[in-house]
Amino acid sequence: MDFNRRQLLTGAAAVAGATMLGSPSVLAQAKPRVVVIGGGAGGATAAKYIAKDSAGAIAVTLVEPNANYQTCFHSNLYLGGFRDYASITHEYTALAKNNGIDLVRDRATMIDRDKKEVVLAGGRRLPYDRLVVSPGIDLKYDSVPGWSQAAEEAMPHAWKPGAQTLLLRKRLDAVPNGGVIVMIAPPNPYRCPPGPYERISMMAHSLKAAGKDRCKIFVIDPKESFSKQGLFQEGWEKYYKGMVEWLGPKVHDGLKSVDPASGTVVTGFETYKNAALVNVIPAQMAGAIARDSGLANASGFCAIDPSSMKSAVDANIYVLGDACIAGDMPKSAFSANSQAKVAAMMIRGELVAARTFPARYTNTCWSLIETDDCVKVGGAYEAKDGKIAASSTFVSKTGETAEMRKQQQAENMGWYAGITADMLG
Amino acid sequence: MTMSHLPAMSVSLLLASASTGAVAGDRELGEYLSAECVTCHQLSGRETGAVPRITGWPDEHFVAVMNAYKDKHRDNLIMQTIAGRLAADEIEALAAYFGALQSRSVVK
Ligand SMILES: Cc1cc2nc3c(=O)[nH]c(=O)nc-3n(C[C@H](O)[C@H](O)[C@H](O)COP(=O)(O)OP(=O)(O)OC[C@H]3O[C@@H](n4cnc5c(N)ncnc54)[C@H](O)[C@@H]3O)c2cc1C
Repeated sequence: MDFNRRQLLTGAAAVAGATMLGSPSVLAQAKPRVVVIGGGAGGATAAKYIAKDSAGAIAVTLVEPNANYQTCFHSNLYLGGFRDYASITHEYTALAKNNGIDLVRDRATMIDRDKKEVVLAGGRRLPYDRLVVSPGIDLKYDSVPGWSQAAEEAMPHAWKPGAQTLLLRKRLDAVPNGGVIVMIAPPNPYRCPPGPYERISMMAHSLKAAGKDRCKIFVIDPKESFSKQGLFQEGWEKYYKGMVEWLGPKVHDGLKSVDPASGTVVTGFETYKNAALVNVIPAQMAGAIARDSGLANASGFCAIDPSSMKSAVDANIYVLGDACIAGDMPKSAFSANSQAKVAAMMIRGELVAARTFPARYTNTCWSLIETDDCVKVGGAYEAKDGKIAASSTFVSKTGETAEMRKQQQAENMGWYAGITADMLG
Repeated sequence: MTMSHLPAMSVSLLLASASTGAVAGDRELGEYLSAECVTCHQLSGRETGAVPRITGWPDEHFVAVMNAYKDKHRDNLIMQTIAGRLAADEIEALAAYFGALQSRSVVK
């Protein structure tokens, strides 16, 4: 309500000013336009902050093909039975209405960087003065021999939200007692560094809660070490003894192939046959629209200016979230949300001469290991030496009190409510 | 003036007894800095889980609590990290910004 009143006032003042100047060109001059591709943690936040803080002075269009946003964050909690699916599904209506954002339900198929236009699947062309690109990740289906997009039903990834998340839960629930689960963990860089390991914890929790404690989860990891390793391994030992076996590359000697039809996983060290469930989390790259528009470098992700989030190759484009190369910041919803606020400020600075301040970023990732046992890792970041660099970081310690771990889970729930309200409210 | 060695309580007393009785923070700076807070703390004042309301606090109280995190008198890794990089004028700016926000009494 407050926003509408402000918008009306701004509008009236603008008209009065133009009349006073008596110049039709002032009236004809269009508002600066910002188009945002992707209504996720990065894009929705950027659209909101640009629209809200410019109070109608910038026309903001958000392009997103999905009717609602299903969060990857806390999808592991859904898997573990700590959340229902409705609670991780969010509408876009409030975002558009409360902030005066033009929501276009379509997919961007091309960015015409010379003409400064976004081309949509439906054929529309959206001109922009500044463009925000936050399409998240695409999966490298060919990074796991024997696996493919056609095999994602048989061996789900659930690393993009929606049907895959629901499928993984269904498949987990169907695993018989004594069944074998194999997770193929991803190589760096990928979205949500602690995500695979929180998922293992939640799978083990769910199996144990269902009395299926003879099940075994093997993790075939291409990495020598992983995020919060000591904390996760302490938790697995404490709660899920004998149920989780993590194998680094020196032990498994390389993933050779998978056979989706028979549920087989072959490594240099061992062959797992008739697995009840194989969860393949493949290598990742920036969403297609970013790569196809020449915004990504050879790494498959997009270089940015750490002081603004501006693309390193196009001064009219900002790239956020999982698609960008954010230096020391992990690919997380928290990071994407934080980066979006820096970009929104810089864009308002460029288009409506709003005050700007030096870029600052923050991140925290909580991971639930077992009921009321949650750990966290995070940091504060700034532009330094040509990248986004950590200025200070923290991580939970092994052996923390149960009370502290419980408190951290309550923070985790509070964060989720906070970030979804911040992005989509 | 450095207050980092004073316990949180005396900081708030000190500030409360200043002539104006208020902290004069830069609200625009506060609004920008606040963006990092509202990823967890809701602008509506709604509280969920262990994330408290931070709107509508008296400025001096806000400053004292943030300084307690900055000086690590108060426990919480996240808040210590966030407060740790805020300069005194930035904490004041945040106090001014959040302090001026009325928390809605009825929240969803
Ligand atoms: C299992 C799991 C657990 C996680 N847990 C956490 C957690 O606890 N905390 C945390 O902070 N992060 C977590 N993450 C990571 C988090 O989900 C991502 O980092 C975050 O969503 C990135 O935001 P984004 O804006 O880059 O992409 P996304 O949120 O994926 O949004 C991208 C959007 O762009 C749209 N899009 C793509 N291409 C186009 C196009 N061509 N045209 C129009 N729209 C397009 C998509 O439909 C999508 O809505 C987790 C991830 C996983 C997989």
